[in-house]
Amino acid sequence: MTTSAAAIENNSFVLLQLGKRRFGLPAAIVTELAPPVKLHVFPHETPMVVGVIMRRGRIIPVYDVTPVLAGKKLPDRRFYLVASRKIDGQDELGAIPVDGECELVNAELFPSPEDSPKYVAGVLSIGEETIEVLDFEKLVSTRVAAPGTAGALSQSEAGPIA
Amino acid sequence: MISSPPDQKAIARRPLVKESAILFTISGFPFAIASSAVHEIRSADSLAGSAMEIEQSGVSKVRHLVHRGNRSYFVVNGCAHFGLKTARPTLVLILRDSPVAILVDKIERMADIVAPHPLPLAFEGEERRWYRGLSYIDDMIMPVANPAGFLTRHELRALEDALRASRAEAHAELSGPVTQ
Repeated sequence: MTTSAAAIENNSFVLLQLGKRRFGLPAAIVTELAPPVKLHVFPHETPMVVGVIMRRGRIIPVYDVTPVLAGKKLPDRRFYLVASRKIDGQDELGAIPVDGECELVNAELFPSPEDSPKYVAGVLSIGEETIEVLDFEKLVSTRVAAPGTAGALSQSEAGPIA
Repeated sequence: MISSPPDQKAIARRPLVKESAILFTISGFPFAIASSAVHEIRSADSLAGSAMEIEQSGVSKVRHLVHRGNRSYFVVNGCAHFGLKTARPTLVLILRDSPVAILVDKIERMADIVAPHPLPLAFEGEERRWYRGLSYIDDMIMPVANPAGFLTRHELRALEDALRASRAEAHAELSGPVTQ
């Protein structure tokens, strides 16, 4: 059972906004919603990871999931939703950029449609809206043909590093 | 909302062991390297005269070998090593414990830095070899270069082989039959 799968059991979810869509993450893995702090970038070769942020004395990798979920570049002014994942048996915090405030909801999780991407753990039905709940582990492991290498990073995209 | 994972708390409580570092830039990106790992800093121009070209080694980031004293150093282009846009390097960091010299854009300054944070496990590419970790310096997080990470054993062997082949070729030319 992944961290996300275990965390889903209590039916508590954080809803996040990315572009025009909302997604859910199991509340049990979410640590905080960080303000638009400085994104630090440096050369690396890991796809999806765009840089790191500093929160409470910890260095937290930032995963750019926007091309996967919203099909666009990182928003200029972004908050970061910080969540926990397991890598090689160790817990590590990771952040994903979000467009604004998040919301905590309690709702029943329904199975996702069969043709859903692998990173969708299920769906919530809130009012008339159907919201995909993300499997954080699978989402940040998704491979996209995006400019993730250091050579593709420009200083303007990199944010206020210099 | 939720408490943090215990291993990251441990990282945050790391003892503040300090070390002296040289802060430098390559293609606009800042890096640090332990001062103890650097033997000498020279201008790239000053080494041009003593540089020997290395051809067909298969290691494209190394084009030259320089001699300092009785030692030789493979000159690694920092931009090519880190996959960055080509810049105009002006300085060479000659490393102490390996036959490697690094072309960099400029030295910013020396600084006492706290022992680097380990690179988050999310990073899974070559950067795990490139960096000893990350350091927080003057409101900036910068990677601390691993002096042993500029050339792999395989690359070193390829360079040494290319060097040997080039020397053998030169020797053969010198000792070849003299035609009247």
